[in-house]
Amino acid sequence: MSAIPIRSSSSVRCIVNGRPVALEVRPEALLLDVLRDRLQLKGARRSCDMQVCGACTVLVDGAPVSACTYLAVEVDGREVTTVEGLADGDRLHPLQEAFIDHGAVQCGFCTAGMLLTAKALLAEDPSPTPERVAEYLRGSLCRCTGYRKILDAILACATPKAAAR
Amino acid sequence: MLRPFALHRPATVAEASEILAQQGRDAALYAGGTELLLILKEGLLRVKSLVDIKRLPGLAGIRADNGHLLIGAAATHRAVEHAPEVHARCPLIARVARHVANVRVRSVGTVGGNLAFADPHSDLATAFLLFDATVRLAAQAGERELALGDFVVGPYETSRRDEEILTSVRLTPWPAGTVGAYVKYGLHERPTLGVAVALTVAGGAVRGARIAVGCVGPRPQRLAGAEARLGGWSLADVERRAGEVGAEAAAAVDAVDDLHGSAEYKRDMTRVFVRRALLVAAARSAGRESHERHPHTVVV
Amino acid sequence: MRVERDLDVAAPPERLWAALWDVPRMVACLPGCAEAREVEPQKRYEAHMSQRVGPISLSVPMQVTIADVVSPHSLALEAKGRDGSLGASVAMSVRLAVAPRDGGSRLRVEAEGKILGKLGALGHGVIQRRAEELIDEFGLRLKRAVEG
Repeated sequence: MSAIPIRSSSSVRCIVNGRPVALEVRPEALLLDVLRDRLQLKGARRSCDMQVCGACTVLVDGAPVSACTYLAVEVDGREVTTVEGLADGDRLHPLQEAFIDHGAVQCGFCTAGMLLTAKALLAEDPSPTPERVAEYLRGSLCRCTGYRKILDAILACATPKAAAR
Repeated sequence: MLRPFALHRPATVAEASEILAQQGRDAALYAGGTELLLILKEGLLRVKSLVDIKRLPGLAGIRADNGHLLIGAAATHRAVEHAPEVHARCPLIARVARHVANVRVRSVGTVGGNLAFADPHSDLATAFLLFDATVRLAAQAGERELALGDFVVGPYETSRRDEEILTSVRLTPWPAGTVGAYVKYGLHERPTLGVAVALTVAGGAVRGARIAVGCVGPRPQRLAGAEARLGGWSLADVERRAGEVGAEAAAAVDAVDDLHGSAEYKRDMTRVFVRRALLVAAARSAGRESHERHPHTVVV
Repeated sequence: MRVERDLDVAAPPERLWAALWDVPRMVACLPGCAEAREVEPQKRYEAHMSQRVGPISLSVPMQVTIADVVSPHSLALEAKGRDGSLGASVAMSVRLAVAPRDGGSRLRVEAEGKILGKLGALGHGVIQRRAEELIDEFGLRLKRAVEG
């Protein structure tokens, strides 16, 4: 913390998808622009640009945020996960597999945000009820699937209640 | 795209207040940014500086304080949702916090930011009114505390002075035997209507009732007339006659036309949802959970 | 946005009517109005309107055109302007009618307006309430000015 205001660029060190990154960013730079234009991570998308749709969702220290309305300087010292960080090399993340298996991807525009939101949910609650999944996905909009298949895919990755105990 | 600004990260409330006093309306307080960055992006607000207060010591804390619950202004909705102190003292608030906006806004948006932005379509202020909330404002010159109802003046307007910082909200937990419910309804991102009710029941009769309605008018409102009507009723009376209280609330509520609907529509929805919220609270008071569900409605 | 008000003034209709054409006096009665000037008497005027809604400030140079005058009873005006930096356009139609009433006079105000642009998205409710407050304050000040 410093009493000197950040006026031009400041140095931001963070972990993006497991790799350390150091960048100079301006105070007004939005995380979404830094990810897409500077780090070439195009998975998070600008859509509504007002935190309503979820297409720009990324995780900051595991918590979903709207990268379109989030200052890049905030990720200093933190860990950022984008959809590009989900797969382990050629091995897809179980949520990604489940989305494919359940037909939860159509045009794909919302998919990155859906996957990351689902990841955060399962980290918080490994055995969510269908109602809890629907509740958690509020504000993650999909214009193709009607949500049913997305819900099914996420529930397929949940730990069965009995096993969770 | 945002226009350039300087980002201040003061170390103390006094330092933050000093920057605000020097820069006046060229500076804006910044914590979660979920409201501020939106109006900056839209160009509705132009400032030279943001004053980041979310890291100020103690500002994000949530704690019990002399029988009250003290929520730091920089506490996020998510922190409120999970805080054991909130669950222990004002459990309804934890449940309301869990349904504010969406999970991304809850991760970064703060309680203080929500109140200070004073969007009339908000959940927290309405629910806080049931706990006789007061807010604390700090400046270099000193601090003052005022009732939430006096803090929120109208849409996007509060009685905060330019150099003041909202530092905390104090809630008074309900007396024993009180159960509450919050019911919100809406088709858009922000609620069209939010109704918070609480019933204090002793010896089978209502000894105290609290009703607050938000989103319908320029600011959230407690409805004393509708509350008084419930006095002395049995739970069976509440279940049978909740509609009368809904009608009284609808007649008393200050409603305005906006993008969510006409004043007349919102008044009528007040009638409908005050009744529904009372039925949920009465059922809970009787030890049952109401499973009544309605489209586009969240019951907490 | 539509606001209608009836305002009883303890002054003869002629005095009230004259006040409506008194530019400095009208400016003083309208909160947020400044720098008004007559471009063409009883036809065209210019004024600057500033309003604040919470953190948002609106600052609009307004062109006022008198559309219709039935002297000394009523006038209709159109006012238009645009806040360039906010990208907001304001358009208003106002009808003012003066009639005798109980030894004094009554002013009827009928205002209809629109705000286009991003500010409009803040919600009709905010703007409607602000317009009502503005016209009520205008009424109070006008009453004070004319009666005093």
